[in-house]
Amino acid sequence: MKIRRLTAFVAGAAAAALAVSACTPPDEGGDTGTGGDDSGIQTDTAVTVGWNQPFYEYNTSSATGNATANANILYLIQESFNYYDPELNLVQNEDFGTYEVINEDPLTVEYTFADDNKWSDGTPVDAVDLLLQWGATSGHFNTIGDEEIEYDDEGNVTNQDEVDSNVYFNGTSATVGYIGDVELSEDNKTLTATYDVNYADWEVNLTGAAVPAHVVAMHALDIEDPAEAKQAVKDAFENEDTEALAAISKFWNEGFAFGDSLPEDKSLYLSNGAYELVEMVAGQYVTLQAREDFTGSHAASVERITVRYNEDPMQQVLALENGEIDVMAPQATADLVEALNGLGDGYTVLTGIDGTYEHVDLQFTNGGPFDPETYGGDEETALKVRQAFLKLIPRQEIVDKLIKPLNPEAEVRQSYNVVPGSPMYDGVVAANGQAEAFPLENDVAGAEALMEEAGVETPVDVRILFGASNARRQQQYAIMAEAFNQSGLFNLVDASSDDWGSMLDSATDQYDAALFGWQSTSTAVTAGNANYGTGQINNFYGYSNPEVDELQDQLSVETDPAEQERLLGEIEAHLVNDAFGVTIFQFPSVTAYRNTVTGIDPITISPTVFYGFWNWGTTGDTAEDPGEEG
Amino acid sequence: MLIFIVRRTLVGLALLLVASFVFYMLVDFTIDPLSDLRTSTDPSAPLQMEQRIEMLNLDAPPWERYIDWLFAFVTGDLGVAWRTGRSVSDLLGTAIISTIQLVSFATVAAIVLGVAVGIVSALRQYSSFDYLITFFAFLMFSLPSFWVAVLLKQWGAIGFNDFLVDPVIAPAVIVGISLVAGFLWQLAVGGGAKRRAIHGVIAALTVALVLVYMQVTNWWLQPRLDWVLLTLTSLGIAVTVTTLSTGLRNRRSLYTALTCVVLGLVLYIPVRYYLFSMLTPSMSYGLAALLGLLAIAVGMGIGWAWRGPDWKQSARTGGITAFLIAGLIFLDKVLSYWPAYMSAPAINNRPIQTIGDRAPNLGGNFWVQVLDGYTHLILPSLALMLISFAGYTRFSRGSMLEVMNQDYIRTARAKGINERTVVMRHGFRNSLIPLASIVPVDIIGLIGGALITERIFSRPGMGQLFIANLGADDIDPVMAYLVIVAFLAILANIVADLLYAALDPRIRVNA
Repeated sequence: MKIRRLTAFVAGAAAAALAVSACTPPDEGGDTGTGGDDSGIQTDTAVTVGWNQPFYEYNTSSATGNATANANILYLIQESFNYYDPELNLVQNEDFGTYEVINEDPLTVEYTFADDNKWSDGTPVDAVDLLLQWGATSGHFNTIGDEEIEYDDEGNVTNQDEVDSNVYFNGTSATVGYIGDVELSEDNKTLTATYDVNYADWEVNLTGAAVPAHVVAMHALDIEDPAEAKQAVKDAFENEDTEALAAISKFWNEGFAFGDSLPEDKSLYLSNGAYELVEMVAGQYVTLQAREDFTGSHAASVERITVRYNEDPMQQVLALENGEIDVMAPQATADLVEALNGLGDGYTVLTGIDGTYEHVDLQFTNGGPFDPETYGGDEETALKVRQAFLKLIPRQEIVDKLIKPLNPEAEVRQSYNVVPGSPMYDGVVAANGQAEAFPLENDVAGAEALMEEAGVETPVDVRILFGASNARRQQQYAIMAEAFNQSGLFNLVDASSDDWGSMLDSATDQYDAALFGWQSTSTAVTAGNANYGTGQINNFYGYSNPEVDELQDQLSVETDPAEQERLLGEIEAHLVNDAFGVTIFQFPSVTAYRNTVTGIDPITISPTVFYGFWNWGTTGDTAEDPGEEG
Repeated sequence: MLIFIVRRTLVGLALLLVASFVFYMLVDFTIDPLSDLRTSTDPSAPLQMEQRIEMLNLDAPPWERYIDWLFAFVTGDLGVAWRTGRSVSDLLGTAIISTIQLVSFATVAAIVLGVAVGIVSALRQYSSFDYLITFFAFLMFSLPSFWVAVLLKQWGAIGFNDFLVDPVIAPAVIVGISLVAGFLWQLAVGGGAKRRAIHGVIAALTVALVLVYMQVTNWWLQPRLDWVLLTLTSLGIAVTVTTLSTGLRNRRSLYTALTCVVLGLVLYIPVRYYLFSMLTPSMSYGLAALLGLLAIAVGMGIGWAWRGPDWKQSARTGGITAFLIAGLIFLDKVLSYWPAYMSAPAINNRPIQTIGDRAPNLGGNFWVQVLDGYTHLILPSLALMLISFAGYTRFSRGSMLEVMNQDYIRTARAKGINERTVVMRHGFRNSLIPLASIVPVDIIGLIGGALITERIFSRPGMGQLFIANLGADDIDPVMAYLVIVAFLAILANIVADLLYAALDPRIRVNA
């Protein structure tokens, strides 16, 4: 009985099923079979760039936002008064505006904004934006010093109320602070900046606005109208209105940091350049879309650029091979370059140099072999020992063995201050005499003669400080140790440590020579002062030469490039004569991309691979295929 | 019992306090928040260094910073990642979700498969199958996860995507795969030579047929569950669930499952083409879960409708079967977007992904995004699964062997109970008890410890949070991660103890 009932039921159900399946399913839309839904899939062309740090803040001038990962993205969405070309010349960007020196002493620069220069909400980009940039980063308007802010351990401010009632912009630049006063024209198109002290690198000092002033004021002061907001910023700075500036500074510090995705409020990520932000997933990627209403000469040529985050270069290679990223520009290592070269025909691998350079500096005042005190205050003896030591550093061998495999064009760097390939490099190298004093063919005979003259008992122990876990520096040390030990004049002692960064300053009696890299972010000529000037922050070695200090003082106020080059040459000649140290090589860089992307042309310093995005293009296979859409 | 819990909690808290101090000191010793400024040539670097020392209170001794941190932490303030200015609780929120997504699938799959294989292996103790599984388990144990992950990327992503360019499996390969599958199956089945031969041949033929079917219907480029596959898989599910749940002898239970199959087939077109399409704009995981619950309710209803004295068993069978069949229909809907997904510019015909948890610039509706999530999840899940699967296999094999040697198993057999009931009801259930003590600890281990897998697959989970912030010299997120993982580990141990006591009446928790 039961079985029969079941049979009946199953038969009924089967009939129902047939009935239902007899009515044709809705249009399957060709091959896709999605049941007639629009899949909603994007069809724009996109170039995806792999990078090792995720984007997280719009304001690159604030204390938190100051990072390369942010600066790269901002390079795509904001224009500035100038940019570097592939030869590292600073080129004025007249789409944005123009600037000129109108007075040499005191140094006065006039910035004029282009008439059609607008933020993507239609508000003009003008002198008020630059005024905010100067007001914020100069630190002149801060009414509360850093030392008056009290923090608990998490960096949470404990006296928040007091801070809130004061003006405190947290991203201060010492060099913007040299600009003592600015003046705006009536139409807000022109800003005239007057320096308190002349400054050689004025051209890279104030180059644009990090954030739109009207947005800051609209949020900080609760103003609806952009024009009114601009005026409020102008008034606040001109009248030094502490109350308004306090609110402005608070928003400037914190308002532009992003959370997990783009904020609802679009004004927090306005663009004045070729691209605008359209999507962001914290810790994963950010996507920029070309602005159709952008009229400048650096207009976008690919519809979308996505910057994707992955901190492991070898995984980026796999992602490149799997088509998840199109371009990558990681730090170069031997394994990585080998893996990239193994990718085959569909990919291009470019090698070159990046902004960091390797060097060896000597300790002058630690009672070690390079300190005159060791020889009873005999400057000459110490100098000879230093010269002999530097003559023996196998610079060419290090480059040949460690760097050439990654960058076949690699050469020994011969300047303490100037990036190879930048306009002043050849001139400064010719003047400084480093190549002659410390020849690439190691001058063993010369070193022996110097040590003999010095009359010091050989071999001399020299402790070298470097990063213990850094494979390349370990290899450099091994090459150096071999060369030195062969000469019999010096005996290298491995003083490497993972804590080398703080030991440079705090443990000067633990090492006699330091091997590490300095990173250049611009072609600023005054940057070197921190390394060689008497008592300067990065001069860990007690090096002091009054003539160098004097020349540095001249250089820092010199605005004529030819004269700057001459002064740099003289400064460096002193460094060579005093046997301060030697420079070894520029870090190799590698850029790899799929051949479906064209126009990639990285430059040495920031924004590296992103330079020339307006020349980028895509060929064939990322284009959409009409008719395939569901 | 209460005293036990209170005592364990207090000990746990004390342990946490000590651990947090040790962590803090170790992390503080490891990181150097000024490292990036030390090698900067920026003229403002000294100024920034001063600001940072002030902000992070670096001049104070570490224990002073620890005390500050601890007071903030116990008052619920997890701090701020100073480098990005984001609050730690914010960062944790996203990271935990991503990790749970990854870990939940891998853990469930590893437990189900590991336990199943382990038990079969125990039932065939010292057979070739047992040795093979033992060998495989030890192999998996000993493989470093970063290596497995990279191999998976090379073969599972790049290799498979290359295969999809022209997805044709050579006949010889089909034959080879079928023979291997048949061989493995006959090993697992065991018994006399005839039984093995029949099972082996059937298994080999089935695999060969499936592969040929996929080839002929271009399944790789248009994967779907049409009438044929849906009917076959649903029937398979119905029989398997019934066998495991009540045994095929229980006719009402079997009929319940079969009714679910029929209902599934009847509803296939309306649900898949009308209901899902209609819901597309408002579809979400929450809604999908609701529909799943609805399916379970319907299945239980069918079981209840078949009535009988043991309707609860039928309802259980019905609920499980209906849920799984509904899942198949859901999967079919997702798979229907495969061709559109493949041809999207963001995917460019290479669907299996190696980094992140979603493809940028894809766009797409709910179904496309689900599909995209799967193509990102599959490799890291496999990597995690392969390794923990091995552990579960060994563990459940050992515990099953122990149980099968107990007196009550012999008694059960002496009473004349059939082998299925002996194994499933008396053996299997009891062999799961020891698992209760390792599963919670294991899950916690995965939440904190999917570090390498997350990093290699670049998924924004807890492990990534830890590594990235340690690299960025940011102590607050690192401490939050460490304390949370330590807390969960302690909690998991307490839960495991209580669970064990609840499951096994012989165990008493004594204060």
